[in-house]
Amino acid sequence: MKLALWATLAAIAIALPYIGILPAWTPAQATVAAFTALSLIGLNLIFGVTGMLALGQAAFTAIPAYAAGILQKNHVPGLLAIVLGILIAVAIARVVAEIFVRLPGIYLAIGTLGFAFVVEGVARAFPSITGGASGLVLEPPIELSRDGWYAIAVACLGLAIAAFHFSVRGRFLRTLQLVRHDELAAQVLGINVPRVKANVFTIGSAYSAVGGVLLAYYVGVLAPETGGVNASLESLAMVIIGGAGALLGPVVGAAGVQWLFAVAGGAQHYELLVYGLGFFLVVLFAPAGIMGLLVRRRAATATSPSAAAGALSARMPREGVCLRVAGVQKHFGGLRAVDDVSFEVRFGQIVALIGPNGAGKSTLFNCISGLEPLTAGRVELEGVDLSAAPIHRRAGEIGRSFQVPRLVPEMSTLDNVTARLDHLRGSRRENQRRAQAQAQLAAFGLEAFAERRVREIGLGFHKLIELSRASAGHPALLLLDEPAVGLTTEEVARLAAALQRLRAEGAAILVVEHNIDFVSTIADEVVVMESGRLIARGAPAAVMADRMVQEAYFGSLA
Amino acid sequence: MNLFSQAVISGLMLGAVYAFLGIGLVLAYRTARILNLAHGEAFAITGVAAALLVKAGLPLLAALGLSLLIALAFALSLHRFVLRPRADWPAATLILITLGAAFVVRGVLILAGGTDPVSFPALFTGMPLRIAGGVIPMQGIALVLLGFGVSAAVGVYLARTRSGKQLLAAAENPFAAELVGVDVERARLVAYGIGAILGALAGILLIPLIAVDFQSGLAMTLRGFIAAAISGMSPLGVLFSGIGLGLFESMVGAYLGALYQDPVMFFLLILVALWQSRHIRFGGTRRA
Repeated sequence: MKLALWATLAAIAIALPYIGILPAWTPAQATVAAFTALSLIGLNLIFGVTGMLALGQAAFTAIPAYAAGILQKNHVPGLLAIVLGILIAVAIARVVAEIFVRLPGIYLAIGTLGFAFVVEGVARAFPSITGGASGLVLEPPIELSRDGWYAIAVACLGLAIAAFHFSVRGRFLRTLQLVRHDELAAQVLGINVPRVKANVFTIGSAYSAVGGVLLAYYVGVLAPETGGVNASLESLAMVIIGGAGALLGPVVGAAGVQWLFAVAGGAQHYELLVYGLGFFLVVLFAPAGIMGLLVRRRAATATSPSAAAGALSARMPREGVCLRVAGVQKHFGGLRAVDDVSFEVRFGQIVALIGPNGAGKSTLFNCISGLEPLTAGRVELEGVDLSAAPIHRRAGEIGRSFQVPRLVPEMSTLDNVTARLDHLRGSRRENQRRAQAQAQLAAFGLEAFAERRVREIGLGFHKLIELSRASAGHPALLLLDEPAVGLTTEEVARLAAALQRLRAEGAAILVVEHNIDFVSTIADEVVVMESGRLIARGAPAAVMADRMVQEAYFGSLA
Repeated sequence: MNLFSQAVISGLMLGAVYAFLGIGLVLAYRTARILNLAHGEAFAITGVAAALLVKAGLPLLAALGLSLLIALAFALSLHRFVLRPRADWPAATLILITLGAAFVVRGVLILAGGTDPVSFPALFTGMPLRIAGGVIPMQGIALVLLGFGVSAAVGVYLARTRSGKQLLAAAENPFAAELVGVDVERARLVAYGIGAILGALAGILLIPLIAVDFQSGLAMTLRGFIAAAISGMSPLGVLFSGIGLGLFESMVGAYLGALYQDPVMFFLLILVALWQSRHIRFGGTRRA
């Protein structure tokens, strides 16, 4: 039914230039709009979905066309030249991405902006090769009629939309949303953030390249400004106006803007201001663009979690030492935030790390999960030295929660938990992972929230949701940063029950906590830090009775 | 005429402009925690406005003063009416908003001034000075002196005085800054204002020697950013990276040709990015 509706709408949209009800909407206009939309799908993936600021995307529409045109001049057959041109553009995009993705996003923004300056500048600077300001004439390898071009444009655009629709969902979409929303949480969940960003930039630029080269051959002349800064900003404006992140955003943006200028006639100088104002006002007042106004967001597609119970396969309980922290030191300049700390956490044991503010607990936590490199010492997990492993490599064996939960508010609870399973070994199929996540939520009594977006759920539950995410897939070690802070008595009881269950299942759990009552109830062992040093260690009752601990922790009052 | 001397002279002039722009960018970044992509627009607005006002018959000084005020009004309203009410939005969206503002400015400037470069008379006239086989116009001397003088004064104020440090503290931890009595909102507004004035001064001094068109703004932001990034966003360091960048660009222009300036600048940006990445271990990313 729904499919029929969409097919009808698509057919009407395709037939629109021939019906003639829309003024100035000729097949030629529609062809340009379709090729433009095709290239914008790439920018929509890079910027709209993943949130990377790519300010020079037009460069990757012009490069393949220039490359193809120049190759063709040098007697490379037309179709081969086009394919080679696209490959060259994609390779260059990969190199640009690799250089900038490890730095804060603004470097990619400035880097891509600079790149667009370069492409336009080079195209102008070497007229003997690129045709210079008067442009490079491109000869299509196949003679096509007006309708032939339009058919090719519609077919390519249809394929590109389908490719986007079927690839940007499920695991891939969750990964991109995590990278966009919270790079740190993404890494802790096992995502290699720079690699994902570089891949997204490469794939997106492939769309740009295909759309760009086809449009250039359709128009027949390629001018330097096609790859420049203004063209790049206009691309960004079309994506934003159409609806950044929406499947049809690029189509609506490209067609809408193309039609607007077709109706208005060739008032060249107004163009830039119209784009600019559209861009500016939409970002300020309607961030979801035209698609956001047309379509209300639908809830995440609900797949039935059948066979859920079976998927939660309990691991064989493990025994012995899970985490060994040996002589760990972390210095910041002259400050010894962590000074020669050693202890261990065994499977089936809850160890609480306590100490006054500034004692170095969080720093130690960051050292264990890989956020901070060690100055000296070793962190071993089941006898394997982790000291040099990147954060995302530790995700399989370490589940971590944060003081302030780092969930993606725009994703459903189920998607948030599934996102952890996405990057663990042995979670093969989407259905399986979702079923496993569903079972995980049920184990924490959270199944009622599964399909609701985290944003709509009370903050008191966020800690529990994060705990269910961290413990999904049975990591050997759980690192929990102040899990009880800000919870009501009832929520603390629920949390304690959950931790005791995880301990019974054999997990090793390390908790940083200030709530002494909570610590006394659940911890098997307490480790006390002060000024970066470990000052006491033992059973809760014994440690609390220790005078040194009382002085450090409660002051001399006690 | 000695090519090398002349290249050094133009390098110093460019360097003064990059110091002007770089320090404003650093200031706005350090106080408001986002990079203002509309930063270079103060330069372009001042230039196009001054050229139009002079053409309309206004005395030069009045035209320059008025265009400086327009640029200042633009930057202050961008911060006060657009960015400040949205301070809790994600940084990436705020950066996008500044880009949108830059885009609108381009659109307005192309309508007002057309696509061709425009210019206006120099403020400082007189016989050009000859030094070691190079020639520097009076305006150029003023540009170099004022550029480095004013930027150095701002840099020293930020890095060495109490109120300057407080201004910078606003971004590092707005909450703590407010606790110790720094008015963060005022600090940010002042930062945007100073940035716009410096950008406008750069325009007033440089544009008579070259020209300006509607799209000069982002090019200036780009170069200011490269200078700022090389210095690691340091208010004093950016003076030196500004000079270095200006000299380098002008040498490239003199010995390789102006056509190579953009590609070489981009190459430099790549080197900066690789240099900044050197501390990043663990396949992680640097958090700004």
